[in-house]
Amino acid sequence: MQIIEREKLNQEIEDLKSQYGSSRAALIEILQNLQAKYGFLSGLVMQETAHALDIHPAEVEGVASFYSFFRTEEKQGKYVIRLCQTISCDMAGKDRVAQQLENELGIEFGETTKDGMFTLEYTNCLGMCDQGPALMINDRLFAKVTPEKVPQIIADCKRDFVKTDFPQIVPSVVQKKGPITENEAAVGEGLKAALAKSRVDLIAVIRESNMRGRGGAGFPTAVKWQLAGAAKSDEKYVVCNADEGEPGTFKDRYLLYEQTGLLVDGMTIAAYAIGARKGYIYLRGEYLYLKQYLEDFLKKRNNEGLLGSNILGKDGFSFDIELRMGIGAYVCGEETGLIESLEGKRGEPRNRPPFPVDTGFGGKPTIVNNVETFVAAALICAKGANWFNQNGTQNSSGTKLFSVSGDCEKPGIYEMPFGISIAQLLKEVGGEDAKAVQVGGASGWCIPRKDFERKIAFEDVSTGGSIMVFGPDRDMLQVAKNFMEFFVEESCGQCTPCREGNVQLLEGLEMLEEGCCSMSYLNELLKLGETMQIASKCGLGQASPNAFITIIENFKDEILGRVPTTV
Amino acid sequence: MQDKTPHEACKESCERAPKSETAAVISTPQDTSAIGAMIKVTIDGQDVEVPMGTTILEAARKIGIKIPTLCHHDDLCVAGVCRVCVVEVEKMRTLQAACAYPITQPLVIHTHTPKVRQARRHILDLLLSNHYGECYSCVRNNNCELQTLAHEYGVHSYRFGHVEEPFFERDDSSYSIVRDMDKCILCRRCVRTCVDLQEVGVYEAMNRGADTYIGTFMDKPMAEVVCINCGQCINRCPTGALHAKDPREEIWGAIDDPKKHVVIQTAPAPRSGIGECFGLEPGTPMTFEMNTALRYCGFDKVFDTNFTADLTIMEEGTELILRLYNALVKKEPVSLPQFTSCSPGWVKYIEHFYPEMLGHVSSAKSPQQMFGAVIKTYYAKINNIDPADIVSVSLMPCSAKKFECNRPEMRDSGYQDVDYGLTTRELAQMIKEAGIDLPNMPKSDFDNPFGTMTGSGVIFGATGGVMESAIRTVYELVTGDRIDSLFEKARVMPVRGFEGIRYAELLIDKVGPVPDILKHLLPDWEWLKGATLKVAVAHGTANAKKVLEDIKAGGKLSECHFIEYMACPGGCLGGGGMPIPTSEEIRAARAKAIYAEDEASEVRKSYENPAVLHLYKEFFTEGPCAHLSHKLLHTHYTPRGKKMV
Repeated sequence: MQIIEREKLNQEIEDLKSQYGSSRAALIEILQNLQAKYGFLSGLVMQETAHALDIHPAEVEGVASFYSFFRTEEKQGKYVIRLCQTISCDMAGKDRVAQQLENELGIEFGETTKDGMFTLEYTNCLGMCDQGPALMINDRLFAKVTPEKVPQIIADCKRDFVKTDFPQIVPSVVQKKGPITENEAAVGEGLKAALAKSRVDLIAVIRESNMRGRGGAGFPTAVKWQLAGAAKSDEKYVVCNADEGEPGTFKDRYLLYEQTGLLVDGMTIAAYAIGARKGYIYLRGEYLYLKQYLEDFLKKRNNEGLLGSNILGKDGFSFDIELRMGIGAYVCGEETGLIESLEGKRGEPRNRPPFPVDTGFGGKPTIVNNVETFVAAALICAKGANWFNQNGTQNSSGTKLFSVSGDCEKPGIYEMPFGISIAQLLKEVGGEDAKAVQVGGASGWCIPRKDFERKIAFEDVSTGGSIMVFGPDRDMLQVAKNFMEFFVEESCGQCTPCREGNVQLLEGLEMLEEGCCSMSYLNELLKLGETMQIASKCGLGQASPNAFITIIENFKDEILGRVPTTV
Repeated sequence: MQDKTPHEACKESCERAPKSETAAVISTPQDTSAIGAMIKVTIDGQDVEVPMGTTILEAARKIGIKIPTLCHHDDLCVAGVCRVCVVEVEKMRTLQAACAYPITQPLVIHTHTPKVRQARRHILDLLLSNHYGECYSCVRNNNCELQTLAHEYGVHSYRFGHVEEPFFERDDSSYSIVRDMDKCILCRRCVRTCVDLQEVGVYEAMNRGADTYIGTFMDKPMAEVVCINCGQCINRCPTGALHAKDPREEIWGAIDDPKKHVVIQTAPAPRSGIGECFGLEPGTPMTFEMNTALRYCGFDKVFDTNFTADLTIMEEGTELILRLYNALVKKEPVSLPQFTSCSPGWVKYIEHFYPEMLGHVSSAKSPQQMFGAVIKTYYAKINNIDPADIVSVSLMPCSAKKFECNRPEMRDSGYQDVDYGLTTRELAQMIKEAGIDLPNMPKSDFDNPFGTMTGSGVIFGATGGVMESAIRTVYELVTGDRIDSLFEKARVMPVRGFEGIRYAELLIDKVGPVPDILKHLLPDWEWLKGATLKVAVAHGTANAKKVLEDIKAGGKLSECHFIEYMACPGGCLGGGGMPIPTSEEIRAARAKAIYAEDEASEVRKSYENPAVLHLYKEFFTEGPCAHLSHKLLHTHYTPRGKKMV
């Protein structure tokens, strides 16, 4: 019996290999398929996959155990309910939803019902921060879930969603449109204009626009393309970072679904600029419901001659885009972590230098850009550099998409120029009474009321788009705790400062909660935070203590000397 | 065929290692004209010129500036994960890991600014906060890199707490390697060693974030995974998370039992390295001082494994000649090339990963096991000792020998042929326990009837040594001429050195009469006249894998007649039971000592070892590869495969 099973499994793996390739880069996709089929990755599945790809079984398990959507121990239920536990959903009442889910299913989080139908899990940020609490069931998303809706959701599951009132894809809420979001009609224009230029001239346009990467780090896009373009290699790659994992960020979800044409234009333009023939969209696993849509879209573009060989009749210019799914790892939003993941490895960021523009995917020159960067690049090519840089500040040109969530009247997506003050933004979103705003997500900075005149721009408070508003009654200690819990889970675990440091910071917050943390120990933790900022291996590790430091520094009075609540 | 040394190969073949990169190699520098260019950097005010791509760590070492490291190991590819080597580079916001930062432009570097010192201290505090450091009872007490750094950086309190209770269960299921994950600091040297250097792949980092740990596949105990027991992970572990299974208590017990006759055989490599445990420079031979120390410890007899090394050459060499004869003259299907079988790590490697090629492995036992069988038969008989009362210990540079002596097939004497495998490190501990100052011991010789050190035996301790001994003996037995006529002072240089894979050819230009000892097997040598003997040497199992793949693909190495494999980089002198630390320089120094011992020996060819000839005359009277020698000196192997579930 076991031999037959093994042979059957091996045949399946062979079939998957012929579909995805036999290199290690195919590992994650093969595992995704096998998990979908068997409900989890058993030892046998991991071992046979390892041998089929000529790697060690322990390496496969290392990969499988790294990503939170892979399961190696027990079979998951037919429906995996993943409830977002990140701050915005937490503030919106996820605890009560969680309680009701447990009540209805008779299991606790982390468990599977006896009939094998349901598994309950927490997950980090689903990108529905403005419509929380959110949960995901397999590839379906549910927004604004209330305890009252829980029984209906479960009932619909049991009917396999044959008839349901819940939409397949929850629409994004765009509160304020701007130059970027108003130009869907420009699809194709930028690409056409770009291909009419020489590569040098094309990069010159991007340089003139002064655009800096929209993902948060703010590296000048033209410099990145220039370096990758100059690198000598017969193979180069364009990668779209659609691993929008920063808590409080959901604007890429909108762009991926509603501005797909501009996104693909932008990637194709980048490919032309650097001389790449292959591109990847690395889509976070939490956006699985967009997979089919995006694949269909790419196919359509191929049929229209906008992808594939001799694009728009341009001789010798061919470019293909492949969609690759993430599997639940925040750190894969870091570009080298993302590349490792594309290569079928644990998503552990690399040492830099060498940089991806030099040694990226498969050791080849690679550019990794955010979704919004590609969209903006396409529009810059269509409308010109001046059209773009007339907005914003000198160092932070253009408008930016902000994802606004938390304690405000009108959460959602806002397109506004860089350089606006936090106060202006709060006025727009209806959050004037906020006591603090978290700019840049869990890895960003907590700005207290007294600093609301500060400007959102790379030169002042920078962000990839996440804006979380904290009203007057929010307990900032709980906010800080939520962020640190996030990092303890989402650190890749390779470097000491981030892996161990975040644990210490979280324990410090627990001590504060218990009312037993001295000022001198708190100061030691702040110093540790500074070490983490300068000594961690990657940008995410370096940013992980930001929230802790800024919350402690600004809210000492609220946080120190607490009287423990006895349970 | 010149190949990379194992650690070079490791550094370059990192594509399999998820977290290790070749920081020192820049594949496409932005300015290609700069390749090979020298770049001037300033470190702590001192200028130094280094080739492009040199890491900050290497540049600092060049001018004598010490930067602390934990995850870095010279034999392994770059990880850059512990961050204890961070330094400040002017104009950079963050600190840079010196081990991982390749210099591609002029830099001004500071290695001990307040920021750097604070960061290092924090990193040590963080590691200690998650390290079950019961130093007194730790096998690495006084030889622990974490302990040393904690001392150097003045850690006098546990700033972020300390682990009070062990969390992991100690895994001592293996005969060879004990894993104590409470001591692990996640430097991943063991992962890089096992995956890159040895291509065995037992370990990997599992989970992520605060839950990260180094695990085996499905958390299987070490006895149930594809571990080959080479112990290279032990040699590279900075703390006590990995160590060899220690038989000292049992051996002391046997010594203290008046009924027991406790004998010890000592392999060639330990004598070249044990001095390091007593503060001596690597490569200080301690052969005869160690003999005295062993007697002071209470061993009844001290034998030299060189004796059975020479016996191995007689058996394995004869087997090779027979394979060639059967193939060339009798035209029988014979597995060629023949592979050596001395290295138990290598043997377990091929059993797991290439079981279909086990027919190539010589059936001759390793020197340790030949000695074990001879002691409990011949030696017991001539001394009138009940073999049940003999406790046979072997001093080995090796952790895999512990597994080997426990193999069920190694009981041909009717008893377990060798009772305990003792590593060099463990013997050093015993000598210290007995209050013996090894370097100042008077010298004394080995015990008879197994004779003294031979050059042909002692070179078994270095990679290529088995091959060199075999060539010396086979050439002289076949041609009747002296090998010294081909190679000055019988130094068979083509098989020496540290390149990962070495290939050599030897023309049999003439043949002599068949010597008496082989007359029962062959009529003449005419069939070998004019033949070219092709041999190869590989060390480190990653190189073994390359050789095996080349043979399978019908490459150049498939034409070889004889191939020596050693599981450990450098051969036995780099074994998993040798003193810690290990590095290319240390291994080279030990090799130098071993080759010096060879040239100082009277007997340098196995077939001339009088004790061996005596044994054939008195005990294995039918000669090599005959009935009794097959029973006691040869063995068989187990196709294990690599499937664990």
